[in-house]
Amino acid sequence: MALRDVKPTRSELINLKRKIQLSERGYKILKMKRDGLILEFFKILATAKDSRGELLKKYERAAEMMALANTVEGAIGVKSAAFSVREVPQITLKSKNIMGVVVPEIDSSKVKKSVIDRGYGVLGTSTVIDETASAFEELVEAIIESAEIETTMKRLLDEIEKTKRRVNALEFKVIPELTAARDFIKMRLDEMEREELFRMKRIKARSNA
Amino acid sequence: MVGMRGISAPYIYVCTRMRVRKAKLIPREEYQRMLNMGLPEITRIIGETEYKQEIDELGTTFKGIDLIEVALSWNLAKEYQKIQEITPGTLKTFTQAYLRRWDIQNVLTILRGRMQGAKTGKIKEILVPAGSLDTQALDRLLGEENPERVIEALKGHHMYPVLAREYPYAKESGSFSRMENELFKQFYAEIIAGAESGIKGGNLFLDFIRLDIDIKNLKTLFRLRADALDADIREMHIPGGALSATDFANLNTIKNQGEFIDMLKGLYRQKALLALLDEIREEKTIRDVETRLTRVQLEQMEKMSKRHPISIHPILVYLEKKKYEVFNLRALARGKESKLPSEKIVDYLVM
Repeated sequence: MALRDVKPTRSELINLKRKIQLSERGYKILKMKRDGLILEFFKILATAKDSRGELLKKYERAAEMMALANTVEGAIGVKSAAFSVREVPQITLKSKNIMGVVVPEIDSSKVKKSVIDRGYGVLGTSTVIDETASAFEELVEAIIESAEIETTMKRLLDEIEKTKRRVNALEFKVIPELTAARDFIKMRLDEMEREELFRMKRIKARSNA
Repeated sequence: MVGMRGISAPYIYVCTRMRVRKAKLIPREEYQRMLNMGLPEITRIIGETEYKQEIDELGTTFKGIDLIEVALSWNLAKEYQKIQEITPGTLKTFTQAYLRRWDIQNVLTILRGRMQGAKTGKIKEILVPAGSLDTQALDRLLGEENPERVIEALKGHHMYPVLAREYPYAKESGSFSRMENELFKQFYAEIIAGAESGIKGGNLFLDFIRLDIDIKNLKTLFRLRADALDADIREMHIPGGALSATDFANLNTIKNQGEFIDMLKGLYRQKALLALLDEIREEKTIRDVETRLTRVQLEQMEKMSKRHPISIHPILVYLEKKKYEVFNLRALARGKESKLPSEKIVDYLVM
């Protein structure tokens, strides 16, 4: 807001004072929200680090088990066991609210299965197939968990960024400009008052003379 | 050779041949050496052993892991067919009956390959024509375009009734598990019926099959136990061994490892098995248990063949040991191809 556009009137001053008050209140609230979000983010960051590490470990184990299964049972044996799966994992997506940020809550079912439910024949396969299937089920579970944590983290980060921009805008642009305009109006009003007083004195002096 | 009086010369000949062949199998130390080699070196070593002819024949068509895989399968099939040719009389009947398990594997591979849309050439590479279905019969099955026609083409074969009965359910559920289990159960039931029909030497064959069933049932039991499964598992029980279906189901309900082992010990008589059960009283990984059980099975089979040197036992022991040799070489080659560490590969070798 350029100062030349400011109308130095009392009503404008009152308006500006109201705006400053509102901006300062908003600034305080947004600052608290930003700090709160950062705290939440750091809490999730620790879990995310663990879950990422866990995911990597489980991925490596699943890849190793797949290589071992191919080694022991052959590619067709592994493929036929994999194609025997009848029930696919079910995922339910819900949402929860962290300080105004809507984050996903993922519930999964039928990921971990028993030997019978996996659909391949027990008498014609060996334990390496069980271990491989189990390693991949654990990997899928870790992926689902990581998806929830990492999406939450991404949304929190976006929100923190947005709030930070708003706080900075209020702190360094909006409030200083409004304060400057208020001061300008105050100064202009004071000056106008002094001019008025001087003019009155001059009129009085002329009329006395 | 007083003890061999009355035994016909072909029986003695074939049993001696089996012992000679068994002595030529790759020894444990050779596997240890191969664990430190790369794939080309393993191929060269395999090419210098009994597999030379297959490696030379296939060397121009295949290379790397494919060459080893196909050469091993060809050699195994050729060896099994040769044994069926040289075994006389009842030994031939028993050998053929025992090798019919390969029919199950081959037919299931073809059915699964067809279901998954795998190329005929790829399916053919992993078939082992060692059972009653020879190369021509398997080629005919491979020529059929869908699983229904494959099953129709098997009309008149031992497996047909089970396949025809179970296929609709397998197709509907998309899973061959029940069909696979039923085929194995039918295979053992037929072998037992054959051995119990009063045929000469049937008792010895039956001992061997019972041991096989016992080990298979134990492996299944430990596997299901590792999975902490509470469902009814009778469907996975193979009748004919020391464990009845009821014992099998009851054992699965015992949560305490000590109680479980104690109950098992009460059901078995073989010393080696009892000793193994004591060893695995403390919690062991399922893989470890499975490997130990296989080892006990091979040791027991070996003992049986020494106790009855002119019987079906030396033949079956050789068939089993040859199977594990091919399995080990394949696992070694595949493991090296997948760049698995030697310590991991060695866990899966049966030595």
